Amino acid sequence: MPSVSEVASVEEAAELLAGAAGRGERVSIGREGGDVVLSTAALDRVLEHEAGDLTAIVEAGVRVGELNERLAGHGQMLALDPPGNPTIGACVAANLSGPRRHRYGTARDLVIGVTVVLADGTVASSGGKVVKNVAGYDLGKLFCGSEGRLGLIARVALRLHPLPAAARTLVAPAGSPAEAAAKARAVLRAPVAPSAVDLLWPGRLAVLFEGGRRGVEEQLGLARSLVGDTEEGDTVWAEARERQAGSQGRLPFPPAGLADALGGLDEAVVRISAGVAYVRSPVADPRDPAEIALAERVRAQLDPAGVLA
Amino acid sequence: MEPAGELRRLLPAGAVIEEPEQLRTYECDGLTGHRVMPSLVVLPESTEQVQAVVRACHAAGVPFVARGAGTGLSGGALPVADGVVIALTRMNRILEVDLDGARIVVQPGVTNLQVTEAVIGDGWYYAPDPSSQQVCTIGGNVAENSGGAHCLKHGFTVNHVTALTVVLPDGELVRLGGRSLESPGPDLLGVFVGSEGTLGIATEITLRLLRRPEAVRTVLAAFDSTDAAGGAVSGVVSAGILASAMEIMDRLTIEAAEAAVRPGYPDAEALLLVELDGPAPQVEEELAAVEAICRDCGAWELRTAGDDHERALLWKGRKSAFAAMGRVSPDYYVQDGVVPRTKLPEVLRRIAALEADYGLRVGNVFHAGDGNLHPLVLYDARVEGEPERARALAEAILEACIDAGGSLTGEHGIGVDKACSMPLLFGADDLEAMQRVRRAFDPAGLCNPGKLFPTPRLCGEVPGPYRAHPLEQAGLAERL
Repeated sequence: MPSVSEVASVEEAAELLAGAAGRGERVSIGREGGDVVLSTAALDRVLEHEAGDLTAIVEAGVRVGELNERLAGHGQMLALDPPGNPTIGACVAANLSGPRRHRYGTARDLVIGVTVVLADGTVASSGGKVVKNVAGYDLGKLFCGSEGRLGLIARVALRLHPLPAAARTLVAPAGSPAEAAAKARAVLRAPVAPSAVDLLWPGRLAVLFEGGRRGVEEQLGLARSLVGDTEEGDTVWAEARERQAGSQGRLPFPPAGLADALGGLDEAVVRISAGVAYVRSPVADPRDPAEIALAERVRAQLDPAGVLA
Repeated sequence: MEPAGELRRLLPAGAVIEEPEQLRTYECDGLTGHRVMPSLVVLPESTEQVQAVVRACHAAGVPFVARGAGTGLSGGALPVADGVVIALTRMNRILEVDLDGARIVVQPGVTNLQVTEAVIGDGWYYAPDPSSQQVCTIGGNVAENSGGAHCLKHGFTVNHVTALTVVLPDGELVRLGGRSLESPGPDLLGVFVGSEGTLGIATEITLRLLRRPEAVRTVLAAFDSTDAAGGAVSGVVSAGILASAMEIMDRLTIEAAEAAVRPGYPDAEALLLVELDGPAPQVEEELAAVEAICRDCGAWELRTAGDDHERALLWKGRKSAFAAMGRVSPDYYVQDGVVPRTKLPEVLRRIAALEADYGLRVGNVFHAGDGNLHPLVLYDARVEGEPERARALAEAILEACIDAGGSLTGEHGIGVDKACSMPLLFGADDLEAMQRVRRAFDPAGLCNPGKLFPTPRLCGEVPGPYRAHPLEQAGLAERL
């Protein structure tokens, strides 16, 4: 059984990693296979929240739910809604998101700065705490989806959004691929700005509207006139996230090919505009082999000794 | 260059430029103070031709620099002496319009505006709109992660690129991303966008398209001070309204704009432009709130535009602000710094103090919503010592931005212009981590060398002072 090392500071993480190669240990971050599991459970401080700037800086072990509880008091939120209550570090490393990615994007769109600890103990920062910034390589984006293989994500600066004043959900039947595609197309082309457009396949299209009360009601009314409504309310989002949590694979598809993609699926939660279906079985790596090879070269540069499992 | 003959064999007739007179066109980009004559310029027309050129350069150990329209303001497309410039202007085709998937596939030489023009008739558009959008190319936008006045709401280039075909610095081809936004593994696409041409050359670019908003409304508000205008910006943000643009101009830039294009602006100390877009009911709801906030913050005149013609009038002075400076000063230097929005009043006061210290005037026009300042330092190159003073003042402003927790550049990039300033923001370990990423893409160091990173040749042996990175400051100084 691997031992678990909880680090409470960036220095502790750097010390642990710097010594690992010498001790002949392999270290796991958020994955299996190492002799030592590096846990960020104690890296749990919110370091800064500048409400007026809509930014926050947190340690990687802070959980989305706790952060959002705290931000809600200021009428703000981190617009990430993955299932469960993962840490911010996990959201970045595993590229976790939820239904509202339709409007707000994923971690890559919300991370404005990072401090990482590389496998040799080097502490490196990139980005900053301003939303608009093109100085240097964006290591925050590079570490999105890095699955613990490039280093420890220790601190993250985040872009926040205002909490919407009102939210309404529309649920419409979508029994066949053609019906689902037609209804999705109607919503996506209408003069409305939904926060989420999910297909709970087979069966239902769910659309979330958020914003000012009047704007939300009028958009809901327009969308309803286009696709109908089964009046199920917002419990559908809990269901979408629960089904997402139970999935084993993320299947990418070209958004224009929604109907074709659905034809091959018996059950899935589908984020239509992003072009991804959360499916029951694991999915083969869809990347160009040349991209996989390039990612391996990046990994080898950042962890030449292969300390990270 | 040795492979000149080989490049002529690889490329169509007329695609290799060697005449000094013709090469001169390529000796600089928008940062005209820096000029380097390349040894060769090539004009490939396809991914295969770019690959062939890069392979030849790689084999011969010759550095190369990709170039689009040459509008960049930080010298990112500045040639390398004895190197090759790969100009992508002939790769200007739109390859596929996929409206059902809200995607478009273009070659790098397509201009930013051409993307929107290709789809606007069907009710779609491409959101990032750098002010050079009529001429700047998508390839350059990808290299610089370009923004624009409207990125406050809709994001930067990196938020709109879903796939890239990249010729790596050894000539190999890689496809990053796809039509889907979901891809496993580290976000190589995300780090490539904004890498200033140092990680490879994108030859096919897939972009996300957005539906044209049902309503766009613009408000111009006149204030007695930039602080009051800034207060209105804070008010809009606190009200939970995400405007698509919020721009402030100060008295000096208002006067210059008035002299140049006569937009008929109110005679004010500061003007605030707020633009809202989205579904009509939402925009109307937000517009009423924005107008009330402006009045509460002391706005004494409000003008609201409803149609495109009226909007264009309100934007006219703002869009011409840089060029208009020629009316009030023989020369000017455009700075590009970023501060947390709440630090704007503090930094503007600091800039006013610096104006007095240096005996030069500074016009301020800025993207107030995201804290991106474009101070215009006015000087007269004919007066001895003024250009140097202007440059020093511009650098002092940059340091004030970094002291306030900001950044060296919000949209113009580092290039050669600010490479030596990188140590103000990043420590040696930060830069080394970035260099490791670079070596994974370009172990031979041939792809746009001498940009973005400080080098002893460019900056002297001693880099500038390092100050704690903003994350470090907030993180209670935990750097080892």
